Amino acid sequence: MDDITVEKLYQARKRDLELTLVAGGEEGLHRKVSVPLIHRPGLALSGHYERFPAERIQVLGETEVAYLEKLDKAKQTEIADRILSSGIPMLIVAKGLTPPAPFLESAQGHRVALFLSRLGTADVSARLKAYLDHIFAPSTNLHGTLVDVYGVGLMYTGKSGIGKSEVALDLVERGHRLVADDVVKVTRVAPDVLMGHSSELLGHHMEIRGVGIIDIEELFGIRAIRLQKRIEVEVRLTLWSETVDYERLGIEEQTTTILGVRIPILYVPISPGKNITVISEVIAMNHMLKVYGENSALELSKKLSQRLSRQSMTQDYLESDYE
Amino acid sequence: MITRTAKIVNRFGLHARPSAMLVSTATKFSSEVFFTKDDLRVNGKSIMGVMMLAAEKGTELLVEVNGPDEEEAVVAIVRVIETGFGEKS
Repeated sequence: MDDITVEKLYQARKRDLELTLVAGGEEGLHRKVSVPLIHRPGLALSGHYERFPAERIQVLGETEVAYLEKLDKAKQTEIADRILSSGIPMLIVAKGLTPPAPFLESAQGHRVALFLSRLGTADVSARLKAYLDHIFAPSTNLHGTLVDVYGVGLMYTGKSGIGKSEVALDLVERGHRLVADDVVKVTRVAPDVLMGHSSELLGHHMEIRGVGIIDIEELFGIRAIRLQKRIEVEVRLTLWSETVDYERLGIEEQTTTILGVRIPILYVPISPGKNITVISEVIAMNHMLKVYGENSALELSKKLSQRLSRQSMTQDYLESDYE
Repeated sequence: MITRTAKIVNRFGLHARPSAMLVSTATKFSSEVFFTKDDLRVNGKSIMGVMMLAAEKGTELLVEVNGPDEEEAVVAIVRVIETGFGEKS
């Protein structure tokens, strides 16, 4: 994600963060926020400027303001100038406090937007951080179809025309919910969480070859759609090929990486007589079983191993029994 | 892989009918086709993807073709775009 302007942040969040712009004006709003991080400049106020993270949004709370009020005006001016000329994107003073006058003058002079917020400092920081994380989250567009099957986000991929939309349509018909067809916007909302949603323009439209473009929400109603869903498993649809070895046991999980997040991937061959919809439901349920700590393939394999070792013990006993 | 840029010249840009034409042209070939507008890159064989570009007149579309018949494909695709899909410019 690219940088955002202070103005964009202000417009998007002024209500949530209860922001009032008090200095820095027009030009201050054109500054750019380039990192999703917040800093409380306690040490800088007391004179330690080394490694001062000037690229971050600065937030002053009760402690900082109380400290500044103890200082004389000359000192306040010196600190204000130092901080506001360092290139910070913006400054927020929280808890309904008023910063010492030199801060307002300096913000105006250096054209840095200075905001007041009535919210507590921790609250401002938490809400601002959540917004910044959302804005700066890495994102991409993937060619595929995302469906919520029993609460598991299945991302169908595969060549154009292989039947991703048709599988999704069949799933919707059986009561599952479409998130996005054809183009899925993917955002990494947390270090290991991928969220998928559809583009604003495409919504829940879908192309079915031979029919044309249909609107799933209009056709099946609100129950058939979902606005966003975590992507949990990728299902790669492929044409059946004699030469490819398909997964037969499912003991070892294959994974794929999207935006640096590893998720399981299954290669499912399409061939006449295969009901991908039912297979999809099984994939979703099997994924849930694994999440809850049950691995059917592994269980069966263990049982088999136990049986074999028991048999061999009995055999060893009988063979070495010379009574 | 072959990469070309093609300019949308018809008056109403890449609306539904031209999108369908573009996708059917791309689908005739076995090569993979991608279109990019700004930072949005979509599969050229997907009608929804192409419509999502919402490319207006004057847009420089980046065309990427990769596969065994890429040379014929890129010529056909660029031609259909640059002739304005048979519409008024």
